[in-house]
Amino acid sequence: MNESTLKTPMIKMIPIFIMGQKYEVPAELTIMKAMEYAGYKFIRGCGCRGGICGACSTVYRKPGDYKIHTGLACQTVIEPEMYLTQLPFYPALKATYDVSTMQGIATEIFEAYPELFRCVACNACTKVCPMDVKVMDYIAYLKRGDIEAAARASFDCIQCGLCASRCMGELPQYHIAQMARRLWGAKLTPRAQHLAEMVLKIEQGLFGELIAKLETTDTAELKKLYNAREMEPAMSRNEWKPSKDNVGLR
Amino acid sequence: MPYPPELKELIKVVEQTRSERVGRKEHDIEVPFMSLEERGQILKYHPDYNEDGKRALRVGPNKGYRIAHEFADVLEAASRVDPDKIDLTKPAYETDLLVIGAGGAGTSAALIASERGAKVLMTTKLRHGDANTMMAEGGIQAATQHHKDSPYYHYLDVMGGGHFTNTPELVETLVTKAPSAIKWLEELGTNFSKDTDGTLMTIHGGGTSRKRMHSAADITGAEIMRTLRDEARNRPGTITVLEFRPAVELVLDAEGRCAGAVLYNLETEEYFLVKAKAVVIATGGSGRLHIQKFMTTNHYGATADGIVMAYRAGVEVCFLHTVQYHPTGVIFPEQAEGILITEKFRGAGAHILNVKGEQFVNEREPRDVEASALIREVHRGLGVPTPTGKFGIWLDSPMIDQMVGPGTVEKEFPGKFILYKRFGIDISKEPMLIYPTLHYQNGGLKIDKTTKTSLPGLYVAGEAAGGIHGENRLMGNSLLDIVVFGRIAGEHAAAYAKALGETKAPLQLDHVRRYNKEVLETKAGEGRIAPMLLPDYTLAQVKDRQLTSHYHGTLR
Amino acid sequence: MKIAYYPGCTLKTRAKNLEDAALAALRVLGIAAVELPRWNCCGAVYSLTDDDLIHQVAPVRDLIRVKEQGAETVMTLCSMCYNTLARANRLMREDEEKRHTLNTFMDEEPDYHGEVEVHHLLTLLRDRIGWKTLAAKVRRPLTGLKVAPYYGCTLVRPRPVSIDPRPDQPTILDDFLRALGAEPVDYPARIECCGAYNILSEPDAAHRASANVLASAERHGAELVITSCPLCEYNLGTCQNQVLPHGEGLRPLPTLYFSQLLALALGVGNEELGLELSPASSLKLVAERISPIHQA
Repeated sequence: MNESTLKTPMIKMIPIFIMGQKYEVPAELTIMKAMEYAGYKFIRGCGCRGGICGACSTVYRKPGDYKIHTGLACQTVIEPEMYLTQLPFYPALKATYDVSTMQGIATEIFEAYPELFRCVACNACTKVCPMDVKVMDYIAYLKRGDIEAAARASFDCIQCGLCASRCMGELPQYHIAQMARRLWGAKLTPRAQHLAEMVLKIEQGLFGELIAKLETTDTAELKKLYNAREMEPAMSRNEWKPSKDNVGLR
Repeated sequence: MPYPPELKELIKVVEQTRSERVGRKEHDIEVPFMSLEERGQILKYHPDYNEDGKRALRVGPNKGYRIAHEFADVLEAASRVDPDKIDLTKPAYETDLLVIGAGGAGTSAALIASERGAKVLMTTKLRHGDANTMMAEGGIQAATQHHKDSPYYHYLDVMGGGHFTNTPELVETLVTKAPSAIKWLEELGTNFSKDTDGTLMTIHGGGTSRKRMHSAADITGAEIMRTLRDEARNRPGTITVLEFRPAVELVLDAEGRCAGAVLYNLETEEYFLVKAKAVVIATGGSGRLHIQKFMTTNHYGATADGIVMAYRAGVEVCFLHTVQYHPTGVIFPEQAEGILITEKFRGAGAHILNVKGEQFVNEREPRDVEASALIREVHRGLGVPTPTGKFGIWLDSPMIDQMVGPGTVEKEFPGKFILYKRFGIDISKEPMLIYPTLHYQNGGLKIDKTTKTSLPGLYVAGEAAGGIHGENRLMGNSLLDIVVFGRIAGEHAAAYAKALGETKAPLQLDHVRRYNKEVLETKAGEGRIAPMLLPDYTLAQVKDRQLTSHYHGTLR
Repeated sequence: MKIAYYPGCTLKTRAKNLEDAALAALRVLGIAAVELPRWNCCGAVYSLTDDDLIHQVAPVRDLIRVKEQGAETVMTLCSMCYNTLARANRLMREDEEKRHTLNTFMDEEPDYHGEVEVHHLLTLLRDRIGWKTLAAKVRRPLTGLKVAPYYGCTLVRPRPVSIDPRPDQPTILDDFLRALGAEPVDYPARIECCGAYNILSEPDAAHRASANVLASAERHGAELVITSCPLCEYNLGTCQNQVLPHGEGLRPLPTLYFSQLLALALGVGNEELGLELSPASSLKLVAERISPIHQA
């Protein structure tokens, strides 16, 4: 598609360099759509196309700028003369562990990922993160044993692996963060009491008859019940209780 | 792209009505919900009601069933591979359970099956977790607050959302297993949004009578998916994952049981045989078929592969005549076109507005009703014109900051806040321009409450199954569906595999030969092959110049 | 007085007692230690490789965080953090070429030229509070308690960052002890090495070094050794059971962080001292030898 004869009139075309080779593509496209426009068919390097799966991390440079820039191909709009390549895969070892038998203490993370302490705070990870996660900071939190802070700081991670690709300490940051989030969720936040109670009520069969009856109710009658539902107000607080429609509560 | 001046002008209209609307919202004054009759009227604007967009199937177990052309195209198609070329005596892998698809449903099934002692092989077209699960934002429904909610109300909501067409036993299973599914996720360490005492935060979704939408900020699906995936990766001894190897055909044995699949390595272009005692199809949806040319929220691989394979093997489909259009997909900026804007924005208080800055529909109608109302508003000439020549509707996100406090949008919707920030739009100050987008395959393969199909040894879970949501799914019930039915599929398929034990019955692909013949004889296929595997986004002029390339379906 | 505070990682995990006690004592002294909102590991030992500038990145980044807060002084409690930050700070002040290289490398950060003063709590007590004022605030005088001040390496070496003007014969911890009413023990091993990181690779060598320190203190009548570095405390205190066989006739000798002794003397309740992280013998000593709060 780099032949000028193929240019569609009316659409502004700009040059980009895909793995060093020049293509003229419509100026408004994302990197992903520009690569497809240029004739690439993705197998790797393309996943959700919505900015959340981490399949299409892309590294690029711009003329007159020594900086390494990164972005998700499906989310980043092309710029004239950008030099880009995708990072479809980057090896990073994941430790295996059994969350159910763990305590949720920092030592468990240190044992799974002793390389954590190879971080020299160079900040390359944070600089390349396409989600603006402060990667170096969450690694710093973990070194000082603060799992909660690391879980919160890494929450937006999409596990694309760019951080690991740039790490001079050779850390698999995103795997370490995943472990921290799981320990935080499973061991360091209180369990939902109401949830356990509801599961118990269901196991005790408190709703069995009610629902069995609904299953055999004819549509006309079901519609009546549906229309008569008492709606929890949009801005209510959690404590809200239905005033009349209690038939389904146990 | 930041909003151009013309749109900035129109945003002023929205701003003019905002403080008055915020006042109403704070007093719980809403646009009234539609009656069932009114819903019936407005649904005529829904794309499902466009009969020109459909045709009757000419082959397979559902012959005569009218579904969208794009879907019929993949069902009325021949196999990708000549069955005669596959050596059925030489499986590359042998396993107790083969799980096809490694999204939320497949991974849940794999985890439970591994706990029940089954050796699991999970194969997936793209990477582990590249699935619609990853993209689900808003939340996961479950009646967990017993002081105001129960599976009873959840059941009614699900049935009403699905126009009372849902399969009752599947709904019963969905709603009564919902709390234990959430508890399982909680124990695995999913970072649900909670109060400091552990109470799960819940909000409304379209069509819910009680607030029962649980979330993990605005990336609930991603958080669930990465947690499940991490757990699967912690069990390398019992769960093997193959990536970039979609299944292209199911394999049966001489006694008519499902006994494995043929996989295709997308990178080396080789085909491999897997022999399994039981198979779970968890291949998800079909947004990338772009039904009626709609943009889609779905991931790159959502091409209905599992449905195609099982249909050929004689498993009936149901509810495929309805497709869900999410009311709020990005329509501008164009780079983000089709991307889903979670219903949670509306749950948090953002209004839906026409070009005059007026509300015209309650923000929490079921999705099909909500989407139809938006489409009608554009038909009425009250849409917002985009610079790309389309029409959208406003979603007034700045209201949330105004009502709850500055910074709320950024904190509660970090994913979308960053996305728009990249385009130079601050959604805590400017509204979003949205339009319905192809979102969910309501129907799918027929299953019973144990996820069993009519084909012995074949189980289906997740979006690939039909009946749970009837003709329309409510928000927050798909994440629930994949976890509930994924777990059930893992349990029952593992039990089936264990009971079956080793068999000597030879493998065969006769069903594929028969189907190919039927497609050929009825001339229904017209040279098409399926499963599609990946959508075709290569431009015609590129193909014209690929003089020596051979396209096999959409793949080179 | 308000001061920016850099804790260091170990004080958040193994050495919480060093921090908890210090913060409690500082409250008594009316000093508000404000922990930096963002900080990373100091580098955990100053890099001695001449051409390995990357190891300076971590401590310099922390100094930039201090500057970013608008603070002129940062306080540390851990002597290793003190040493690493102070030496990196000196490098940024004095070595123009390396300063330029580091500032250019950290181009996402504001330039840094060594504007911040790095203090250890001990120098703050000496220079900003004064021993006399400190002595006046003591509520549980440690009268008669014979304490061996253990300086180790990183408080006093190298000379330019030494917290005492006479690094080979330091007195700052001695003065500190006198202010608290205790009796400092003069012993030769006070500035010798505890074995440091050898504990990881050559534990026996570390134990021998620790045994030398403990034996020297004990011979000169010490009832207690005070430390200011989590690694020293680990070697001398936590690992003491493994150390004892390396010194002839060596008996258990209690150890405490200087901050714990400070808090004790200032009347902070035992529950805030993190004594549960200290050796059992130290607990016993506190119970038996330190008098209850003196009612003023």
